[in-house]
Amino acid sequence: RSTSGAEHESARARVAGAERGWRRGGKCGAAGIRCVAYNNQSNRLAVSRTDGTVEIYNLSANYFQEKFFPGHESRATEALCWAAGQRLFSAGLNGEIIEYDLQALNVKYAMDAFGGPIWSMTASPSGSQLLVGCEDGSVKLFQITPDKIQFERNFDRQKSRILSLSWHPSGTHIAAGSIDYISVFDVKSGSTIHKMIVDRQYMGVSKRKCIVWGVAFLSDGTVISVDSAGKVQFWDSATGTLVKSHLIANADVQSIAVADQEDSFVVGTAEGTIFHFQLLPVTSNSNEKQWVRTKPFQHHTHDVRTVAHSPTALISGGTDTHLVIRPLMEKVEVKNYDAALRKITFPHRRLISCSKKRQLLLFQFTHHLELWRLGSTVATGKNGDTLPLSKNADHLLHLKTKGPENIICSSISPCGNWIAYSTASRFFLCRLNYEHDNISLKRVSKMPAFLRSALQILFSEDSTKLFVASNQGSLHIVQLLEGSFKHLHAFQPLSGTVEAMCLLAVSPDGSWLAASGTSAGVRVYNVKQLKLHCTVPAYNFPVTALAIAPDTNNLVIAHSDQQVFEYSIPDKQYTEWSRTVQKQGFHHLWLQRDTPITHISFHPKRPMHILLHDAYMFCIIDKSLPLPSDKTLLYNPLPPMNESDVVRRRTAHAFKISKIYKPLLFLDLLDERTLVAVERPLDDIIAQLPPPIKKKKFGT
Amino acid sequence: MVQLRPRASRAPASAEAMVDEGQPASEEEAEHGLLLGQPSSGAAAEPLEEDEEGDDEFDDEAPEELTFASAQAEAREEERRVRETVRRDKTLLKEKRKRREELFIEQKKRKLLPDTILEKLTTASQKCNLIFLVNLQKKNEDCEKGSGSKKVKVQKVQSISQNKSYVALRLKDQDLRDSRQQAAQAFIHNSLYGPGTNRTTVNKFLSLANKRLPVKKAAAQFLNNAWGTQKKQNAKKFKRRWMLRRMKTPKK
Repeated sequence: RSTSGAEHESARARVAGAERGWRRGGKCGAAGIRCVAYNNQSNRLAVSRTDGTVEIYNLSANYFQEKFFPGHESRATEALCWAAGQRLFSAGLNGEIIEYDLQALNVKYAMDAFGGPIWSMTASPSGSQLLVGCEDGSVKLFQITPDKIQFERNFDRQKSRILSLSWHPSGTHIAAGSIDYISVFDVKSGSTIHKMIVDRQYMGVSKRKCIVWGVAFLSDGTVISVDSAGKVQFWDSATGTLVKSHLIANADVQSIAVADQEDSFVVGTAEGTIFHFQLLPVTSNSNEKQWVRTKPFQHHTHDVRTVAHSPTALISGGTDTHLVIRPLMEKVEVKNYDAALRKITFPHRRLISCSKKRQLLLFQFTHHLELWRLGSTVATGKNGDTLPLSKNADHLLHLKTKGPENIICSSISPCGNWIAYSTASRFFLCRLNYEHDNISLKRVSKMPAFLRSALQILFSEDSTKLFVASNQGSLHIVQLLEGSFKHLHAFQPLSGTVEAMCLLAVSPDGSWLAASGTSAGVRVYNVKQLKLHCTVPAYNFPVTALAIAPDTNNLVIAHSDQQVFEYSIPDKQYTEWSRTVQKQGFHHLWLQRDTPITHISFHPKRPMHILLHDAYMFCIIDKSLPLPSDKTLLYNPLPPMNESDVVRRRTAHAFKISKIYKPLLFLDLLDERTLVAVERPLDDIIAQLPPPIKKKKFGT
Repeated sequence: MVQLRPRASRAPASAEAMVDEGQPASEEEAEHGLLLGQPSSGAAAEPLEEDEEGDDEFDDEAPEELTFASAQAEAREEERRVRETVRRDKTLLKEKRKRREELFIEQKKRKLLPDTILEKLTTASQKCNLIFLVNLQKKNEDCEKGSGSKKVKVQKVQSISQNKSYVALRLKDQDLRDSRQQAAQAFIHNSLYGPGTNRTTVNKFLSLANKRLPVKKAAAQFLNNAWGTQKKQNAKKFKRRWMLRRMKTPKK
């Protein structure tokens, strides 16, 4: 009798490894957010983190993280901006301006600005020029050429480091915020027009220098500055005088972003609050307008280092690793679930792989991999019990990567004998040997030239073949032999732009390989004959998870708008069940889930079951049961035992959802009777964060 | 008192004459100053009384006879000696310079790659265009890593040996860059988390809510599990050993 997943004697493997990993300082897929940049044309958000990773979120595809550029130890990004349409630039403390290639998913080039560490960067309103503010006080102008950037000239050099920059919308003037003062430059001549001294403290004296964290230049000549004393100040750039001063926080105000229409802006403070300022008329029918602080939002616990203002939402990110997107109710036209707050905390891709035969889990961190053996229990109990472990989870291996680059992807073979992982420039393949309780690792030294950087790695079910999706778009099949390997075939990339990171899936019998990521749709290759078999019709939302079922060879695809398709590979068409689901549509609560499905798996003996999970729930779809209509309850907990069979049958539907384990990082079937689930409690993440601002509460 | 005009005074006097504007007067002054400062006379150090005594002695004796020929011979000797020393110095300097040049050439040779690779480079560059393009496509990432000026060198080497990748950096630049980066990071850390900022620990922050509940709860991270790990490990080992010992002894 199947009920919501509780039939499996789920060993609640709350892997103690996840907890211990945090104390060592390694975070599985979480680093603080340093900068965000919003691109209006494509409705995409570029987010850079403190470990150097730059992620691209597609805000119209249900806020899905479609691409990312792996970080580098020396690349501490301090500024990020879009320029010339769709080109992404970042600058950091190593003094280099980096351009990212959004098609090849790597760094195009890094150009040294020769001014020391770069603190701020902004693009001109026309998009053809780039301005950087450096440590030595110089403001440098670069011309953006079709394939590179070229240094044009320096502006007047200032005494202290330039921490923030802003162009006037007409492109004639620039405001630069430094320590204790703000300068206004004329772009044509490069000379300072005004130098406006900022008070160190609002109506007071202070020894600490006032750092101007952000400036914004409006088209009427007003310069808005936010500084470390907690003030938001309005300056008149024509006369160089202070117009208005607001004290909004007891701590630093660290970021500012102005809307395109210049009628609202948002600032973020170190206390985790963001404030929305709007330009409102003084009285209801007067022409005179003034800036009023309208809404505070407290969605963060730590410093909000960066904010962005899209036409309909306020976006903020900070040290507490959450990305918060708050749609503004007055700007949203249709008041549906789209207008709800979105908080992106968990990674949108799978960072854990599992070896079912040996019960091992491989965790991918930024600079190292950890291999854990699951604990076991001999006790038995009823459904819903938590059983004590008789043998604890074992930390088998801590594999540190060489070099400063972050790990992009990793995988362990199902038999547990091979581990493969890749950084941006190197590919590593290691062989594991097990003797009794000991484990030894041997690295395969000679890697072929074409295997440099992989976006996705997958082992076949029998662990004889390795599938690698390289960042040039090609797919490589490598045959694994005893101590070495042999390159079998390379599938060249088809035409089509790269939409998202490549995802791979292989059928358990080893004959089919599915790959997603381009605008052409999911491609299915015949591994035995080494040719392209078919292409699933393209869908306008990116794929978040892929898997091929064991006997039926049905390809199950999950998209970022929470649609799930089932495509039969031998028949080259969607299955009956998939067509039925599409006709009826999914339950509205299913479509309103926040987090994307990151993993799909199957039960070896039950072909009618599909097991999938996202961050807050896991679900077993039973294809033999009827689909729920919009009126029925989607999350139906176990009905009490004394209910009649009829009632139970009436409320039973195909989607068996369980929310007992959350937040889920990974869930898979180990064998017929065991599930492994890896949770990542938010408290553990918060425990590793840097210190927040002190809040004084009455009574504590 | 007979005052022999010493030869050495000529050169310094002329130098000073070149510097000063009024020549005749200064020459006299120079002479006076020099005569007073002459080490051979020693008049500056000794008191006046001794001088007068010395003078008396000199007055009694007859002056030395010095023929013109001997003086000329002496002068010529001196000149010869001076010329010799100058020549010797010149040759020594020449030799030194020669040796240095050779040393530099040797060092340069050592720095350069062995001849075999240089040969390969020259031949490769002649036919390299096609290979170049192919390799560029394959190894785009590597080019970005090296600094701009060294880009060409990196690419050339790669066209020969396919399996290696080179990143050419000048260490001097790297040190300066690192120190500046560290200074910048220290600035940011100081301004955000340094003294004067109002920061608290994460534990205290999360426990604020617990303290205000109607039933007060403990802090969010009440237990410090990282405390005394070494002690706990030692205790575990000891316990295991003790258990083994206990299990062994009753059998005896």
